[in-house]
Amino acid sequence: MNLTQGFKMAAKSLLANKVRSVLTMLGIIIGIAAVMSLVSVVQGFTNVQKEYYERMGTNRVNVYAYSYMSGGGDYSDEIAAYCETLSEYALGVSPNTQIWVDGVRYGTANTRNNSQLGSPPIYLGNEQFAVCNAFTLAEGRDLSYTDVKSYNQVVVIGAKLKEYLFSFKDAIGETITIGSVKFTVVGVYEPKDTSENEWYSYDYMCVIPQSMSRILNSNQPISQYVIKAKSSENTKIIIDLMTQYLERIIDTNTGSFYVYSDQQWIDETEAQYKIYSLVGGGIAGISLLVGGIGIMNIMLVTVRERTHEIGIRKAIGGARRSILAQFLIEAAVVCGTGGIIGIIVGFLGTVVAGKLILKTLLLPSAVMTIFAAAFSVFLGLIFGMYPAVKASGLQPVDALRAD
Amino acid sequence: MGLIELSQGFKIYNEGYENEVRALNGVSLSIDRGEFVSIIGTSGSGKSTMMNILGCLDVLTHGEYVLDGENVTDMRDGRLSRIRNREVGFVFQGFNLIESLTAYENVELPLVYQGVSARLRREMAESALERVGIMERADHHPSELSGGQQQRVAIARAISTNPPIIMADEPTGALDSKTGDRVLELMHGLHGTGSTIILITHNNELAETASRIVRISDGQIVEDRRRVPA
Repeated sequence: MNLTQGFKMAAKSLLANKVRSVLTMLGIIIGIAAVMSLVSVVQGFTNVQKEYYERMGTNRVNVYAYSYMSGGGDYSDEIAAYCETLSEYALGVSPNTQIWVDGVRYGTANTRNNSQLGSPPIYLGNEQFAVCNAFTLAEGRDLSYTDVKSYNQVVVIGAKLKEYLFSFKDAIGETITIGSVKFTVVGVYEPKDTSENEWYSYDYMCVIPQSMSRILNSNQPISQYVIKAKSSENTKIIIDLMTQYLERIIDTNTGSFYVYSDQQWIDETEAQYKIYSLVGGGIAGISLLVGGIGIMNIMLVTVRERTHEIGIRKAIGGARRSILAQFLIEAAVVCGTGGIIGIIVGFLGTVVAGKLILKTLLLPSAVMTIFAAAFSVFLGLIFGMYPAVKASGLQPVDALRAD
Repeated sequence: MGLIELSQGFKIYNEGYENEVRALNGVSLSIDRGEFVSIIGTSGSGKSTMMNILGCLDVLTHGEYVLDGENVTDMRDGRLSRIRNREVGFVFQGFNLIESLTAYENVELPLVYQGVSARLRREMAESALERVGIMERADHHPSELSGGQQQRVAIARAISTNPPIIMADEPTGALDSKTGDRVLELMHGLHGTGSTIILITHNNELAETASRIVRISDGQIVEDRRRVPA
């Protein structure tokens, strides 16, 4: 018996029992759809995280250092000085502290009036902020060492903030109001964000000299820093050296510090998502197993129902392997059809979940789709094997006797 | 050497136990090509077992069976199904058509198993349906056909591969006498075109239409007689 015939027969017997076929497939449909959407969403999450960090550039070391003592706790001078000695490993160091103000204004344009924007992020930084965070200057100049030292009220703004405040006018030299303090725009950064999530886009930010903490941030100590390492190996060296240094200068009874690289953070989140994937995939896998057992059960019923037919087929020359092939193809077609429906549902689920949770167009990967299709057919073959062997092993005379 | 050579055939159930049953108890039978043989016996005489053995649906416990020059005694499933497919066409009392297939598909099935190409299959299946005069019902399912029509489809299926032997087990048993007569006529027609016919029945009248009558009782041949054509 050839394959085309086998598929025709399988399709026929499936259509003859539509309700039963659909119910049988349900386990496979749910299993495949669940695996696909779960894994896709988790993968999407990981990718969004990765992109976020990649935009900030690689080989960054983040430093938190603060003290609970009133009046003290600003280690920016010490950290800057220590980083000088690390120039063999580091490209630069900058404060990286974000403060919140009540909107940024220029003329009638006020970010407060944009509900999505509200108050854009304001960073306290220095002349190395751009290097450390992978920004490039589009026009004007960057912050300078003098700006920090002389408490200059100057600001470098992101591309989208410039567009929002100035439209197509020139921004350099103009004065904007951050919170209630006036700043002169000296530079604009190139856009780096492509994400639709404007509320945390870096292209809406302002960078002002770290010394401005005095008037904009009630002279709160600066506690966050970022160091740009020359390579990933150097990242590890810097983490070790910086940790040792901070251990020396900060008394952990009155203060605290934390040094980590973006890579560590990425690795940790990735490991976490991998666990989600495994747990979710495991649950979906159990659903597939249950679905497969359902297939086996229904195929056993089919074999019993069709024992007489098997007898007839054997009497007119159906060999054992023809009967075996027929029932295997039937099981594979049930599972394969269920798999295809499951893939369609999985696609829809992934797209909907992507839109709702990640606000991007998320699609399952091609590899996973092909794997899901192949796996569902494989499942049919595995769970169809026992009933098929049982059917094909019947003696024709015994099978004919059955009703 | 005959087409069918069964020597010292035994079919024994529960051999060696107290409830041993000898369905066939040392039967030897030789049938030549082109014969029309009826095997007659009462229910439980062993005639059905005889047909199952001769049709390769069952295997002997002891003895030897040579069919068309091939010793099938210890043949394995694969080759045995080939023999059933090519050498024997079955006509059963209960028709034994597959309900989910149309008349045409039922007739085509042995050719599918034989691996005949689709075009040749159509030709052979249609010619078989025409020979039994049921072509106009080819697209109907068995449930839409009368008993006589179903039996004609079954005969078409039996002859579709042009096997040398047609084996019929009470082919008229489920039919009224008029339809039964027409089926019997068909069998004789097939005999006229060179087929070897083996007719299994408990009906004396039916058996007497054959040119050779073999009577079985308690698993043994008790009578083997050739009828002189009237």
